[in-house]
Amino acid sequence: MKESLMDVICCPLDKAALDLDVDDEDDDEVLAGTLTCTECGETYPIEDGIPNLLPPDMREEAAA
Amino acid sequence: MTDDESGDLASRRGLDDAVVYQPAEDSGLLAEAAVAEAHGRVLEVGTGSGWVAQRIAEERGLDTVGSDLNPHAARQARERGVEGVVADLCSPFRADAFDTVCFNPPYLPTDPDNEWDDWMEHALSGGESGRALIEPFLDDVGRVLAPDGVVLLLVSSLTGYDEVLALAEDAGFSAEPVVEESFPFETLTVLALRRT
Repeated sequence: MKESLMDVICCPLDKAALDLDVDDEDDDEVLAGTLTCTECGETYPIEDGIPNLLPPDMREEAAA
Repeated sequence: MTDDESGDLASRRGLDDAVVYQPAEDSGLLAEAAVAEAHGRVLEVGTGSGWVAQRIAEERGLDTVGSDLNPHAARQARERGVEGVVADLCSPFRADAFDTVCFNPPYLPTDPDNEWDDWMEHALSGGESGRALIEPFLDDVGRVLAPDGVVLLLVSSLTGYDEVLALAEDAGFSAEPVVEESFPFETLTVLALRRT
């Protein structure tokens, strides 16, 4: 994901802003990292350049 | 790249194709409407293969985000150069974030006894009424839409055109058909929804 995506995404639960922690990036994209809600503290993974912003209960269901 | 890695990639792509809705007549109609009507920052909800979002990005040069519940779909969208996000409808997007929101919803009315519970069902089935995803989408899309924004929503006659119009009106939108095409078993319309 490009860092500019931060301007349009929020926590799906309470719509608060997210903090970005980058684990891996290339010239113009974040490839791996974590998004953390500044309000409720819920975390959302970024894997292979794709943020997973499903609420936690749906994330587990989708993985099953 | 080693042989092992390319083999993995090939099988992963094969799997993605099998579990991601691929472009069809409805996609073509939504792309036609979106290329004509889109402006500003664009979100395609339920992007599937990402084909519609890619056409908007390339033909209009607009920043386009493609979101899908299905991680295989978000990956295909990303491979097309679209910003891919795994999301439930509009839930992780900020208020007023998008000038254009496109959605080709899963719309086939489905008997609950015949649901097959896999990714393709999620891409096709609109529940018993055909409107199971359209209702929550219309409830929330106004939040993420900028003041002069437009929603482009594909509606099939199988889903109930008048019923969808009524839902849009309840959500505070006026609706205007942009393109329409008849097929043997359904008529497809793309509605442009604007705040009243």
